[in-house]
Amino acid sequence: MRITCPHCGARDAQEFSYLGAADLQRPEGMAASEAAMATYVYQRDNPAGVHRELWYHAAGCHAWLVVTRDTRSHEITAVEVAKVRKAGATA
Amino acid sequence: MAETARSWAARGAWAGIAQAGQLGATGPAGVTATLLDGFGLATLIAAPGGAAALSQAIVARLGIALPAMPKIASSASHDVIWSGPDQWLLRATTREGFGSLLEALSAQAAVSDQSDARAALRLSGPRVRDVLAKGVMLDLHPAAFAVGDTGLTSIAHIGVHLWRLADGPDGSVFEIMVARSMVGSFWSWFAASAAEFGCRVSTGRG
Amino acid sequence: MSTQPFRLAAGGLIDRGRALDFSFDGTSYRGYAGDTLASALLANGVRLVGRSFKYHRPRGILSAGPEEPNALVELRSGARREPNTRATVVELFAGLDAASQNRWPSLAFDLLSINGLVSPALVAGFYYKTFMWPASFWEKLYEPLIRRAAGLGRAAGTEDPDHYEKAFAFCDLLVIGGGPAGLAAALAAGRSGARVILCDEDFRLGGRLLADKREIGGKPATEWLAATLAELESLPEVRIMPRTTVFGLYDHGIYGAVERVADHLPQPPAHLPRQRSWRIHARRAILAAGALERPIVFAGNDRPGVMLAGAVRAYVNRHGVLPGRETVLFTAGDDGWTTARDIAAVGGKVAAIIDSRSADPARKALADKLGARLFAGGAVLGARGGRQLGGVTIRDASGAVSELSCDLLAVSNGWNPTLHLTSHQNGKPAWDEDLQCFVPGTVPAGLAVAGSAAGRFTLAQALEDGARLGSEAAAEVGVAAKPAEAVPVTDPETNGLSPVWRVTGGKGKAFVDYQNDVTDKDVELAAREGFRPVEHLKRYTTLGMATDQGKTSNLAGLAIMAEQTGRTIPQTGTTTFRPPYTPVAIGALAGHHRGKDFRPVRLAPTHDWSKEQGAVFVEAGQWLRAQYYPRPGESDWLTTVNREVKAVRAGVGICDVSTLGKIDIQGADAAEFLERVYINGWKALPVGKARYGLMLREDGFVMDDGTTSRLGDSHFLMTTTTANAGKVMQHLEFCHQVLWPELDIRMVSVSEQWAQVAIAGPKARETLRGVVDPEHDLSNEGFPYLAARPVTVGGGIPARLFRISFSGELAYELAVPADYGDAMMRALMQAGAPFGITPYGTEALGVMRIEKGHVAGNELNGQTTARDLGLGRMMSAKKDFVGRLMAGRQALVEQDRPSFVGFKPVDPGQRLRAGAHFIGIGKAAVMENDEGYMTSVAYSPHLSHWMGLGLIKGGAARIGERVRAYDPVRNGDVVVEICSPVFVDPEGARLHG
Repeated sequence: MRITCPHCGARDAQEFSYLGAADLQRPEGMAASEAAMATYVYQRDNPAGVHRELWYHAAGCHAWLVVTRDTRSHEITAVEVAKVRKAGATA
Repeated sequence: MAETARSWAARGAWAGIAQAGQLGATGPAGVTATLLDGFGLATLIAAPGGAAALSQAIVARLGIALPAMPKIASSASHDVIWSGPDQWLLRATTREGFGSLLEALSAQAAVSDQSDARAALRLSGPRVRDVLAKGVMLDLHPAAFAVGDTGLTSIAHIGVHLWRLADGPDGSVFEIMVARSMVGSFWSWFAASAAEFGCRVSTGRG
Repeated sequence: MSTQPFRLAAGGLIDRGRALDFSFDGTSYRGYAGDTLASALLANGVRLVGRSFKYHRPRGILSAGPEEPNALVELRSGARREPNTRATVVELFAGLDAASQNRWPSLAFDLLSINGLVSPALVAGFYYKTFMWPASFWEKLYEPLIRRAAGLGRAAGTEDPDHYEKAFAFCDLLVIGGGPAGLAAALAAGRSGARVILCDEDFRLGGRLLADKREIGGKPATEWLAATLAELESLPEVRIMPRTTVFGLYDHGIYGAVERVADHLPQPPAHLPRQRSWRIHARRAILAAGALERPIVFAGNDRPGVMLAGAVRAYVNRHGVLPGRETVLFTAGDDGWTTARDIAAVGGKVAAIIDSRSADPARKALADKLGARLFAGGAVLGARGGRQLGGVTIRDASGAVSELSCDLLAVSNGWNPTLHLTSHQNGKPAWDEDLQCFVPGTVPAGLAVAGSAAGRFTLAQALEDGARLGSEAAAEVGVAAKPAEAVPVTDPETNGLSPVWRVTGGKGKAFVDYQNDVTDKDVELAAREGFRPVEHLKRYTTLGMATDQGKTSNLAGLAIMAEQTGRTIPQTGTTTFRPPYTPVAIGALAGHHRGKDFRPVRLAPTHDWSKEQGAVFVEAGQWLRAQYYPRPGESDWLTTVNREVKAVRAGVGICDVSTLGKIDIQGADAAEFLERVYINGWKALPVGKARYGLMLREDGFVMDDGTTSRLGDSHFLMTTTTANAGKVMQHLEFCHQVLWPELDIRMVSVSEQWAQVAIAGPKARETLRGVVDPEHDLSNEGFPYLAARPVTVGGGIPARLFRISFSGELAYELAVPADYGDAMMRALMQAGAPFGITPYGTEALGVMRIEKGHVAGNELNGQTTARDLGLGRMMSAKKDFVGRLMAGRQALVEQDRPSFVGFKPVDPGQRLRAGAHFIGIGKAAVMENDEGYMTSVAYSPHLSHWMGLGLIKGGAARIGERVRAYDPVRNGDVVVEICSPVFVDPEGARLHG
């Protein structure tokens, strides 16, 4: 597989390591519930189709990326930098 | 710094690993390798939103701007090499005065001295791309990887940082930096890969 | 030396001026440059080249290409011996040494051909039905028997002396196959300036143009071939790679290829690899791999001397070998007639032509012209002969059966497109009813198929496809295509075909899959027993499962199954293929990465010094660390380690810790960040101090530990364990970039910048005094426990000094720029000489940390929580941190969860073993009675007995109790007493000394 890192360009998948679902929100703060955290830690969809997932460009720029990939065909339709997703965050 | 008073012998990253001489096939060398030593190197990371200010500070001191892309920008004595978002390597051909330069820049950036952390190698020669093709998973065709381009990638499962300098008398010139601890394994790969073409190895500064 | 009795007097693309001597099964022969092993054997009249897999039937050469199922040989000898090499693709070289395989004791006289006599026992499903009971018979009887009786070649059994390489290439267009379609494609794209790679598995480019006598542009095709190759070679962006098989198509336009750099030489020349595996990144690719000819299933169709008609043509035209004196042609179409014509053209005798199609006056006239008897509407019922074809039994259109004698039977049944690569990415071939073959159906993005590989079998179509697709590919990748030149005219050709899948009614076995000895009867049996879907058919009969992956057999198998079940071929199934197209040596895939280069090794800046000191090294993650430093007269490691430990506790020792991960963390929110990733607090840590930190995974289990020092208000230096450095860096980047990008954190690994050494023992301060520049105060007050400050050494060299201890002794860690690592060790040895300074390795380090009850990798094993390790009180209740909520889960805080304590043997003479499980005294050693396990053990020279750390239910509350430490793997069963994990100096007096 080739993943096009927004910083480095098209690279072999072996330069990256995989984490999983990209759109989970960590329950932050002392008020967070154990149940919400358990969901965050353990509950995952396993879609046959389009999946937004985190990849770390370990052998490249060390950026965490959100890769939109079809799990059936490995077609990659988008790669974004994870860090700039949150509103107010600077690149 | 009291550099002259130092009584300890420095031992560069290539010591015990590689030395000047000829590798592999005899005859005209297809590849020329220069083992680089004695340079100053540091990681600079800009504060959030502070890349422009840092770049201005570098321009003011060294006359080169920080590239926003995976590029290298060079003056006669210094290079700034993109090494990640908002992150650069600053290289000086000598360590003389490097400490005070870093001190001065630490107001604008997180500065981490890496002078001893990398082994560096300059490569040129008619077969340089053929050697690199045995490990580099990037397209290094002259049209795809231009002078001044840089890439963080891996060779033989070893992380490397490589870039292309202005062409020299024997064509394209590349430099590769590799983590100091890995340089033995890296050299094993390089020596095996370059042997076919013959390689002249020399030592140099910067 | 033999005289090559089957070599034609002239012709062929061989260099008769370069004779090459070689041997087969110990007999010497001569061939010519340009021969394959197969063509050279045929020239010398060698027909029998192997024995079949299961029945040990004599087998010859069927084909002239990569599809060869029969002529598998062992090539070379000794460490370079290579089994299962197809003689049809082995390029002949002087001194080539080949041997037949799967024969015992000799090829001509094979005792195991008796397998053929007991063959009813070896039909499809034989293994499943026969070797079922008793289970113990498998290892002792069945498997050895089967391995002897059925098999292929033998691996060398010793290390391969050659080296292999991997390489990466990038191109606009990859052309797979150097026949007319591929050459035309490469030329069209290459002329426009596109970056083209043209691969061909053969050592000579041209494909079928080498094997067929054709005309292009009114001239012999060889002239067009030469001109095309010359032009391609002149184009700077075109790379021609002969002897290179593109074996697989992977995601996103990545193609795997193997280049046989030196397979055509007795051994690789100096500095050259034997083979090189390529990963080719192609924006576009054109598959122009041609087609593979199909045999016909009839009794005795495996006799040496039965060959594919196209292969016969290749041997005649390309190699100047006519592999028989008297040929019979069995054809189902026009293509076979070309073979008859070419044989006649070189003066060979075509005794008869059996054309399965009905009578046709034009064919009758042509047969008469060739001097051959024509049996229109006939069939070959069977071939007879043992090691050599003796004749055929034919049935004419009227049903009359007669015998013909011949020594060569050329079989022509149409061709199958070599579409393998189109199905590597889930592409499905489609059945073409007109062509009676599978053609590419769904084709992966970026790939186009040209010529015969697309079922467009004529030369004109090949040239046309190549030119068109080559231009299109160039245009698609944005290269300005030059206007296409007119496709040259070719000589006329006809492709009439009415395939014959099998002929029934003959006597003896009729083979579908030659290499795996699958007969038509096996397919029938599978149909009767219900193994009808093509995937079941394959697994039940082993059809298509041999090293040739059914290149000559899959379609016939499908056709017979279709006939048996009253379905059509496409209803029965398709043939799909997975990589590799042809077998690839594992060595080529491994490339440089074998032996010491299996994976990168990391060496500390002090490595050479340690080596000089006689260190024995141990792998720790990727690192090599000094494990212990044996001295002359020390016969075992324990003696050495005991000496090292005693030396540290009595005086001073030094141990490299450069391998620890070191992460420079800066930024306004650095302290806040540490609060979130560590369980304990950091905001109150003063500048110039270090603190032990523990971090959890989000699921509440311990991830890593280490000391982190505050170098400035917003500047920390974190250390990680050696093994987890990369993982922790990735985790911190995740926390920063994904969880809390709003924080101002700037992190970079500085692990490589610093050489770091632990100086431990009562004389540590005095030793250090000799290397740290005099202006720095090292007194207990001036540099107290957990101080962490910059100092200078050796006259102004910047260094960092940390007063931290893993051994329980007065101890420091000194870090200097890596260039000075070697000098630091030498300076310390000199400064510590008066105190008997002793280098110690990871073993002694481990003994001392166990004596002090410190947790390490064995305890941080991914299954333990901070509470389990007795570190629960470190968890701050005032802040959120990674893992906080999950660590509080009920199951992780239950009282009887195994927790951390020490263990000592009740009989001090007994040895403890890590991994032993704790069982109550008098209780049975069963899972229900398991109370925990020993994580670390060591012999303590301080206590003069073994000691252990471990996790046991109830933990510290049970101190003083006795349990069994049960280790069935090493027959250990020791009664131990639960004790405090701190074995030495529990008051910590030494630490603060």
